[in-house]
Amino acid sequence: MPELLQFRDVNTYYGDLHVLKDVNYTIGEGEIVSLLGGNACGKSTTMKTIMGVVRPTSGSVIFDGVPIEKMSTAERVKRGIAPVLEARRLFPRMTVFENLEMGAYTRKRGPEFADDLDRVYALFPRVKERLNQISGTLSGGEQQMVAIGRALMARPRLICMDEPSMGLSPLFVEQVFDIIQEINRQGTTIFMVEQNANMALSIAHRAYVLQTGKVVLSGSAKDLRRDPAIREAYLGELQVT
Amino acid sequence: MSFSDLLLQQTINGLSLGAMYALLALGFTLVYGILELINFAHFNVFMVGSFIGMWTLQLMGINGQSIVMTGLPLIGTMLIALIVTMVLSGALGVLIERVSLRPLRDVKGPAAMITTIGVSYVLFNIILLTVGADSKNYPNPLPPVQWDIGDAVLRLREVLIWVIAVLLMLGLHFFVQRSKMGKAMRATAQDPEAARMMGVEVDRVIVIAFFLGSALAGAGGLIFGLYYNFTSFIIGFTAGLRAFTAAVLGGIGNVPGAMLGGVIIGLIEAMGGQFIATAWTDVIIFSILVLVLVFRPAGLLGRVAPNKS
Amino acid sequence: MRMITKLFARIPMARRQHLLTLLAGVAAIAFPLLHDNDADIDSAANAAAYATLALGLNIVVGFAGLLDLGYAAFFAIGAYAYGILTSFQVMPHWSGFWEPFAWLELVRRIPQPGGDLVHFTVSFWIMLPVSALIAAAFGVLFGAPTLRLRGDYLAIVTLGFGEIVPIVVRNVDSVTNGAAGLNGIQAPRLFGHSFGVAALPYYYVAIGLVALLVFVSIRLRDSRIGRAWMAIREDEIAAAAMGVDRTRTKLLAFAIGAGFAGATGTFYVAKLQTATPEMFGFPVSVMILVMVVLGGMGSVWGVVLGAVSLQLLQSWFLEDISGWIHDLGTLIGQPWMLKIDLTESIELIFGLILVFMMLYRRDGLIPATRKQSALSFEEQHAEVRRGGFPALTGLGNFTHSDHTGLEVRDITVRFGGLVALNKVNLAVPAGDVVAVIGPNGSGKSTLFNVITGLTAADGGTIRFDTQSLLGLPPHQILRRGVARTFQNIRLFTNLSVLDNVLIGQHARLKTGPIAAVFRPPSTRREEAAARVWATEILSLFGNRLLPRATQTVSHLSYANRRRVEIARALASRPKILLLDEPTAGMNPAETLELAEQIKSLHSLGLTILLIEHKLDVVTRLADKVVVLDHGEKIAEGTPDEVRRNDAVLQAYLGRGTLAEGMVDA
Repeated sequence: MPELLQFRDVNTYYGDLHVLKDVNYTIGEGEIVSLLGGNACGKSTTMKTIMGVVRPTSGSVIFDGVPIEKMSTAERVKRGIAPVLEARRLFPRMTVFENLEMGAYTRKRGPEFADDLDRVYALFPRVKERLNQISGTLSGGEQQMVAIGRALMARPRLICMDEPSMGLSPLFVEQVFDIIQEINRQGTTIFMVEQNANMALSIAHRAYVLQTGKVVLSGSAKDLRRDPAIREAYLGELQVT
Repeated sequence: MSFSDLLLQQTINGLSLGAMYALLALGFTLVYGILELINFAHFNVFMVGSFIGMWTLQLMGINGQSIVMTGLPLIGTMLIALIVTMVLSGALGVLIERVSLRPLRDVKGPAAMITTIGVSYVLFNIILLTVGADSKNYPNPLPPVQWDIGDAVLRLREVLIWVIAVLLMLGLHFFVQRSKMGKAMRATAQDPEAARMMGVEVDRVIVIAFFLGSALAGAGGLIFGLYYNFTSFIIGFTAGLRAFTAAVLGGIGNVPGAMLGGVIIGLIEAMGGQFIATAWTDVIIFSILVLVLVFRPAGLLGRVAPNKS
Repeated sequence: MRMITKLFARIPMARRQHLLTLLAGVAAIAFPLLHDNDADIDSAANAAAYATLALGLNIVVGFAGLLDLGYAAFFAIGAYAYGILTSFQVMPHWSGFWEPFAWLELVRRIPQPGGDLVHFTVSFWIMLPVSALIAAAFGVLFGAPTLRLRGDYLAIVTLGFGEIVPIVVRNVDSVTNGAAGLNGIQAPRLFGHSFGVAALPYYYVAIGLVALLVFVSIRLRDSRIGRAWMAIREDEIAAAAMGVDRTRTKLLAFAIGAGFAGATGTFYVAKLQTATPEMFGFPVSVMILVMVVLGGMGSVWGVVLGAVSLQLLQSWFLEDISGWIHDLGTLIGQPWMLKIDLTESIELIFGLILVFMMLYRRDGLIPATRKQSALSFEEQHAEVRRGGFPALTGLGNFTHSDHTGLEVRDITVRFGGLVALNKVNLAVPAGDVVAVIGPNGSGKSTLFNVITGLTAADGGTIRFDTQSLLGLPPHQILRRGVARTFQNIRLFTNLSVLDNVLIGQHARLKTGPIAAVFRPPSTRREEAAARVWATEILSLFGNRLLPRATQTVSHLSYANRRRVEIARALASRPKILLLDEPTAGMNPAETLELAEQIKSLHSLGLTILLIEHKLDVVTRLADKVVVLDHGEKIAEGTPDEVRRNDAVLQAYLGRGTLAEGMVDA
């Protein structure tokens, strides 16, 4: 399976704070890969590094064989990476439809646009019902649907999701994860930062576990699900090494 | 004049002034909505715009009010003057952004605002030093057509101003609501980081906002000249404060608010001048500015409460 | 020349400052005696007046960070106050009421055929301080409703006030003679002699005024008040959390700044013997701002230099440069150059200065550096300490019996539709360490914010030592003994380590503005004790912070900045310390060290509530652990109990196999 996204020996500093320490990830095309870890471990920095909001101090980020760590965000979106942001971050005073349109910002308006819309409607019938509603008035779960739809409108090869279950009721969490699986089945690679390890590991193929900026565990989801070391990583056991 | 005729006359005046202030306030609010920057230079771009309009008309051979045109030549001339004024004013705005504001984009505090005060002064004084302090007679090819409504008078120039203003505002409205770049601007105003993640080039959006805002200011300047038959280096300051108040009254950053605020301030100025005294109009308008900010900083249509948490 | 600079370099830093000041003073006094040109002396007197205006604006903009674009209004108020009370403009009819005032020589009786009139003749020397007070009163009047607005809005409002005042002056012409201006304003009299029109006596008064106001500025800057101003400028929220009463402190800056302008207004108008509204419009406010920006915001000598430079530019250099341009134009045959008169374009130069300084030298010509008395060698030498903090006598009052603890009952916080905290209960008994843990977004920081008054509660009660904290502003909560640190570190970035810790003591010190200026023995003792206390707290951290005490905190490492924040909170002598993720970003060894240090604080009797997600830190420290998830308390108990709790594991890991079973130590 070809590699779609790679982090090679990435180190990121905020001032003198070492946030990512020699981090290596590999995400194969068609996979769902999850990034797990407790509070403040470097998960959201990873997401920002992929999207280009943060630049690594050393190391490289390679997408589809091309190093992208110096590219602008817009360039990366054009190459096929789309985000689903933490806490959704829809444009609150724009309608659902306009949010979807913004997802397709880097694409030309043509027949593909209508196809993409149909795909989103098929996945999220609720979204179709609320096209003209101002997105700020939707519930958290509905916003999450729109946020995922917005990412799909970019026809991305890779979707980066930042904490998709955050702030959602358990019922919605199940729905969202079902949809993530469906999208993956339809061919999109998913890289998912998630705090809810159980949920994430139930749909992911592989996962990495971060602790204070270092990858401490990695492997197939099946294996990790049975690994007690994950609990320790989450609950912040001190590694005095 | 009877009271109702007086009222009508002042309403006509007020709406014309209001149209001008609305355009000025709109341009100002466009930039504020995205950058949260109070751009003092905006009002002197308006002043420069009125001079650009004047020079364009003069270059087309129109001087003072002696030459009168009608029909197609009139429309053509006005159109050319408007387009040239707007484009050059827009360019001026982009230049200002590039040279003096972009380097300060990430600097916290009042640095950017202070810079706009500086730029405002520079524009003001360049014009003053080159053209002098006297008022200039504005070239105006409009025929002196007017309609009488009772004792009140509606002049052609007022109709023209309304038409221009309404067309520009409609144009802006459609641009902001329907066009791709317009939506990118709205998105950037609401969440710049999320917009960036959609692939929006935020720098470009800002440049376009400055261009549009300054173009509207320039159009306002041309309208000023045609309405009053004069222009001078000082008009940025006087009209500026009113437009500023209009933007604040409507809600800074709010587009329909700017239009509403402009009309209200225009009417207040006209009515105030007639029924109270022009000397006190300034105080009234400044007081509105202060009162709105103290008691209802979000303005009439705004949402964001600009108090410190 | 070399010899002089070498000699100069030999002098220690503190003495250097004094020497320069002395030299400047001597030069100022000698100047008119050596250079007997009345016009130049007059310009110099004007320069001095502008300097005092700049000093006043410097307090508002430079120290406190409040952008005032209508500062000239206070200048006008001081000017017209004196003008009205010494000119022939306002002349009420004479009556017995005025007798005592005539006796005090504040008014004079003018015989008139139609009825005697009152002529105000208040002395200049009385009016100097009185105008300052009147202007200060207006400062409070304008400031009270507006100082809570955020920066750019405040700028607009002040601009509005700055415009309203001259317009009112222009329109109330019975009192002010409107646009024509007040004439016949009395010149100052000293020992029976009027100053007349010669510039010399005005010059010396102006110099005296500058010297006085520089002195006052410096004293304020280096005092508790100055520190509070700068704290507000750097981070208002952190300032409030450290006990600074923001409204009062801002009003103080505004009023004192206004007072400087009021006094200057009186002087200026006494020199000109006339006052017109044009002298006080927006362009004047901008000019003063340019002086402050040019000289350096927050820099006392800088703004004096800025004012003097601009005045020199305006009165002397521009004429000379224009002359050179004319000569050049004649030389190279460009007649249009002869038309250039730079003195007209002073405002253009103002604009260019503003743009240029903001783009390239925001600190100004003389950047403001906080004058710090250097720590001696003994104070800087501190051994590395293991096993936590040693006992400190000063910290002895953190005993168990001092208070009854913190009680949070049924606290609910909503942000729009989102419920951040839902009926949360938390009890921190006196002398205990309680840890709050929970996954991201569970409401931990919101809990801290609602306890410390940064967020309003939508239901429930919070009591500390049986007194309710709800509805109190953050600085009052600090005064009750509740101190905190922030998850994202909110230090006063451009201030030194020492200053940050001194501001932590703001609520425990008492020096007000008057004491700050006069420095009575009580103030000097207080400041010395404050420094000793600050040094003791810094030395708790071994040699990590003390050697860097005079460094700006922005140059410190992340871990050290965390430590400074803790030191700052400790400096307020709290009864309970709220630490928000104190070990975040620290490596394991540093985490261990800090955990032990926090434990030693606890053994001194300090009550601690801490947010922490490193479970072994929690185990080491906490008597009790409270677990939040989605805004609700889902578990409470000892660290061991909590680790075994299924609900807790599920909260962190999600429902499923991972959460089953025990977590081994």
